[in-house]
Amino acid sequence: MLRFVLARLALIPPMLLGVSLLVFVVLRLGPGDPALDYLRLSQVPPTDAALLDARAMLGLDRPFAVQYLDWLWRALHGDFGLSYATRRPVLPDLLGYLPATLELAGTALVVSLALSLPLGAWAAAHRGLWQDRLVRGIAVLGVSLPNFWVAFLLVVVFSVTLGWLPAMGSGTIAHLVMPALAIGLMSLSVNARLLRASMLEAAGGRHVLYARLRGLSERAVTRRHVFRNALVPVVTATGMHVGELLGGVLVVETIFSWPGVGRYAVSAIYDRDYPVIQCFTLVMTVVFVLCNLAVDVAYAWLDPRIRLGDDAA
Amino acid sequence: MSKLASLAVAVFLAFAVAPAASQTLTYSWPTNVGPLNPHLYAPNQMFAQASVYEPLVKYRADGTIAPWLATAWTVSADGRTYDFTLRPGVTFSDGTPFDAAAVKANFDAILANRARHDWLDLTRQIDRTEIAGPLAFRLVLKHPHDPTLRELALPRPFRFVSPAAMGEGGTTAAGLKAPVGTGPWRLVATRLGVSDTFAANPSYWGGKPGFERLVVKVIPDPNTRAIALQTGEIDLVYGAAGQIPSEAFLRLRAQAPAFSAAVSTPLATRVLALNSARSPTDDPAVRLAINRAVDKDTLVRTVLDGIEPRADFLFAPSVPDADLGLAPHGFDPAAAETLLDAAGWVQQADGVRAKGGRALAVELDFVGTNAQQKAIAEVIQADLARIGIAVRLVGEEESAILARQKDGRFGLIFGETWGPPYDPASFLSAMRAPSHADYQAQKGLPDKAGIDAAITAALAATDPAERKRLTAKVLTALHETAVYLPISHAVAIEVHRSTVAGVAFGATLNEIPFAGMHPASATAGR
Repeated sequence: MLRFVLARLALIPPMLLGVSLLVFVVLRLGPGDPALDYLRLSQVPPTDAALLDARAMLGLDRPFAVQYLDWLWRALHGDFGLSYATRRPVLPDLLGYLPATLELAGTALVVSLALSLPLGAWAAAHRGLWQDRLVRGIAVLGVSLPNFWVAFLLVVVFSVTLGWLPAMGSGTIAHLVMPALAIGLMSLSVNARLLRASMLEAAGGRHVLYARLRGLSERAVTRRHVFRNALVPVVTATGMHVGELLGGVLVVETIFSWPGVGRYAVSAIYDRDYPVIQCFTLVMTVVFVLCNLAVDVAYAWLDPRIRLGDDAA
Repeated sequence: MSKLASLAVAVFLAFAVAPAASQTLTYSWPTNVGPLNPHLYAPNQMFAQASVYEPLVKYRADGTIAPWLATAWTVSADGRTYDFTLRPGVTFSDGTPFDAAAVKANFDAILANRARHDWLDLTRQIDRTEIAGPLAFRLVLKHPHDPTLRELALPRPFRFVSPAAMGEGGTTAAGLKAPVGTGPWRLVATRLGVSDTFAANPSYWGGKPGFERLVVKVIPDPNTRAIALQTGEIDLVYGAAGQIPSEAFLRLRAQAPAFSAAVSTPLATRVLALNSARSPTDDPAVRLAINRAVDKDTLVRTVLDGIEPRADFLFAPSVPDADLGLAPHGFDPAAAETLLDAAGWVQQADGVRAKGGRALAVELDFVGTNAQQKAIAEVIQADLARIGIAVRLVGEEESAILARQKDGRFGLIFGETWGPPYDPASFLSAMRAPSHADYQAQKGLPDKAGIDAAITAALAATDPAERKRLTAKVLTALHETAVYLPISHAVAIEVHRSTVAGVAFGATLNEIPFAGMHPASATAGR
């Protein structure tokens, strides 16, 4: 197991190198000119002289290879350059924003799991009855509604009409509720539906029949032989949902004025702020790799038949 | 007295003596305000720069210039030398005196970074600056430059930071030690992505602001901003009409007296520039027909929710030197069709006119993410289809549209005049530079050289009557050649909660008169 984890971690640096080059190239292949965006943000008319000055200031007047190698050399020393839009060092700002985003995405994940597992199990236990239909209905809605729309709907109901929750900002648990729910609803719905299906499938297995024949209580059968086996696909889905959650954060943070990395990245994309997009992509690559690794480890723990690496041989 | 009763009295007294009104004004902006360097651009936000730093002279809504940090000035007969008398007793918020030496140090710092300010004519016109006495400052230009005082009034770059707060060697291009100005507000805290906090400057020469603190929350989304105002997270929305969605503005305006809402007088003009150097808009008849075929009243009422007034000319009549009494190209589709018929554009079976085998089709470029521009473009497309002009809509990113404006790759393209204090002189001045959409749109006019020469002469004119005559000549030519389709006049909006009083519009969009605002309950005591 340890060797597997270390091998996966060792893959991160070459992966980052590849990603950095790819992002660097793709950004510059697109149409548009960051110097023009800088002048737009500055509300300065883009005269030729102003453009030349802005390009020199942003370091865009140098050949592509020089730009990349210079950026790479500095990045290896922990300096990811200055944001074009804020003229502040990128990495400290990004790391400053990251905890708020992880807090939000983490809460969304917890909310999603904490609600989806009981809902899924409840539906499976009442197959075909109203409970089952209710959960399936919620699941269909949750998957179909775009998260930003859910966010606005929640704001209208809980902030504007009822006045129970703050409409924007951060700092207290009350501030977390709506954004986390808006982001987590999709994952919640998929997981509830998935757990229901997989519990029903597991319940029909011969090991369950045998467990019952052994005279185990229904509660023990469900918990040890149905639920635990049914969790494996849910873990896979959750691993994939981490991406969805972080993607949802990008949009929902803007709506709730949440001071996270998503909002930073969205405005960077809009303003063609290359240094921020480059650094953001690398940080997100690391986050994704680590999340996938965590999912793989959780697999092995849930299902002993899955062997990670060859250390068990 | 029982304990309970005394407690009740204590609680009552606590409420009775507590200040009924908050001493904090909460506003919002899409980003943090930046490090607040008066001599640099993004990420410094203009409204915040203008709250901390002040100009020598102030632009007023009627187009005149008022004394500010300079109490008086004289201009030499040749229009090249400006002598300013500085206001006595003014200090920067760090205690440094504001004097001619401080003014000179600021001009030196600005001009040391001349290329950054090249877009502004005045930077190119400055020959030298001199200290003519402790409170006397002299500015010498290379040539007479009519907009000098208006350009000195801009939020940037000609404003003043304490020389003690400048960077190494008295420069500001690489940053300041601290944002220290003479203005009514001091920046005291910045929380990244959350808010910026300003405190009232107790030693402000113009009197202490009505609020102790000004908190500017970071809210990027217009819908969220509207909801924040409604739920009391912020007290005030103020700025360009896009600050909140227009339907939210109308909804809040209907909720008086909890909210007060107002629309400013016209600040700028939204136009479509028609490319006179490209077919088919190189044909004056086509440009005139486009001007007569668009039903602006309906457009303004529906797409713009009636918040912005219809525009008939490039500049609103309230703009200095722009009230010429010309006849607008009114809405008259039949007249538009007659114009096209006479010019030889014949209606075809597919509903699109053609001439010499060439279809009457034109491309309209707009910012794809701007819902308002998209809606306006679609209305114009439908209006022009009715008279046989096919419009192809091209929605692109903002910087791609900027690039098109710069190099003339457009048929029709959205633009906006710069508003006060730039209109009309500085805006007209820019028409002479090929990097502007206006230059590109006008390039095909037979008398473009004459228009440019008249603008140059107007900028150098020292006699106001002569300047007015030349400006009228330019504006008349632009109107008659129909090289613009004026759509509406951009306005500023403000909505505030009933807890705030004294909200008024500034003379320009970028100067928000926070200092004059005060808690509503303070009104009773005044």
